[in-house]
Amino acid sequence: MLSRNVVSTCRHRSRACLHAPSRSLASVADAPSSSAPSSDPSTSKAVLHAAVILNRSPIITRTPTLFEKAYYAYQSRIRRALFNPFPTEFYFKTGSLLEKKFAREEKVREREAFGGPWTLNREGPESEEIGMTSADQTESMGEEPMEPPASRVHESDRTGDVKSLDRMGERNLYLLIRGKDHTGKEVWRFPQGGLKEGEHLHQAALRDLTAECGENIDTWVVGKKPIAVHQASLSESAKKSLGGEELYTFFLKAHILAGQVRPNGKNVTDFAWLTKEEIEPRVDKAYWASVKDILSDF
Amino acid sequence: MSSSLLAGVSKQKLSLRVSQTSVRYAGRQESGADPKNDIIRRSLYPSNIRNRPSPVGTWRPDVGRRLQRAIPSVQAHETIERAWFLHQRHIRRARAAELQRKFESVRGAMETLRHVAPDLYVEANKEEDPRARSSAETELLKKLKGPEKKAVEARIRGLFPRELRMPTDTPPKNGWIYDFSPVVRPSP
Repeated sequence: MLSRNVVSTCRHRSRACLHAPSRSLASVADAPSSSAPSSDPSTSKAVLHAAVILNRSPIITRTPTLFEKAYYAYQSRIRRALFNPFPTEFYFKTGSLLEKKFAREEKVREREAFGGPWTLNREGPESEEIGMTSADQTESMGEEPMEPPASRVHESDRTGDVKSLDRMGERNLYLLIRGKDHTGKEVWRFPQGGLKEGEHLHQAALRDLTAECGENIDTWVVGKKPIAVHQASLSESAKKSLGGEELYTFFLKAHILAGQVRPNGKNVTDFAWLTKEEIEPRVDKAYWASVKDILSDF
Repeated sequence: MSSSLLAGVSKQKLSLRVSQTSVRYAGRQESGADPKNDIIRRSLYPSNIRNRPSPVGTWRPDVGRRLQRAIPSVQAHETIERAWFLHQRHIRRARAAELQRKFESVRGAMETLRHVAPDLYVEANKEEDPRARSSAETELLKKLKGPEKKAVEARIRGLFPRELRMPTDTPPKNGWIYDFSPVVRPSP
């Protein structure tokens, strides 16, 4: 009926669709709320929980695949072949040290791109024969030698420390918590909690996150809209304890910018920062079905 | 290819230097003046006598030979290009599919919210205005000073935080910042 029209109009639009419904559905949203109280008393009373998908974005760029590396090398070779000659006389004073340094580096680059006259497939030591090492060069120029940059592979990658936020620098990591769900069972789930009176979804989400994970994390909730919903099937006892017929858990997206999670010992015992494939085996099937689409593949 | 061009030209009895300006910029000027000025002049007004390739010129006599050295063959080059475009298309399709899945999930969640809690739905749909400041925030900002004030002012609702870092080729020297003390921020 009405919802189907909404769905079909949304399908034709782009991402702006989510902003548009606030205008096009304004008249529609008022009507049910004015005609009846928040939910129909004869059917189920819904209990809402707000959960947070806390994401640590990638720290380092992706490693190019072998094909990509080969293609980039091929393209730079073509560019090098087609370049006009470089105006060394303009950039360097004739006979200066800097010009000699440049000539040395150019020779290395040329050899790297095309291979020297008699080379088949030489690597590292070749460049050192042709020129001094970069440390010597910079010292001869009177500059300070630069520290080498940090390695792309962190210690926690080798040990497999899932609590570390430096692990898997290229991937998106998500916070998974070992705690009690609505039935009281210990499961791996995302941090969640209930809503208070008059509270909005994103406010409740932030409050529940700090309650379960401690305050020593710098988070940024991306927006007010939920990104996924999980409807849990409830047993009779669970329905009584919650005070409602249905339980909806709305997930909101947030980013962690600094800090580390400190679980409160009460209903949260353990935590882990995991990639999408690592989350799948730890989590219930129904839960995973609701959540899998919102996690980034890489 | 060049032979056919030459053949065409010789028929019309024209010299090889077809397009020729009347003004010729000189090469070196052995006048004993400051060589720096000479170098700058030659960079700004390169010699347009076509006898050798120059840094800003378009005349390259040996392009064919250099290309032969760089690429295996025309067919191989075209195959490589096609493979690359195919690879890019796979990546693009995968990315678009992932975004589509994420969007559908958001839409489904908003639909459920609309049925379950319409008032929360209305709140979720409200746009964030970066310029708006709640009364609680202004009150708090009056009391704070220094770095605390900066921390509260820095996080503007509706905009990305500055600390959301771009991925770089290597990670930061000190790694992730594990020590963080909480900042009191008024809720919107």
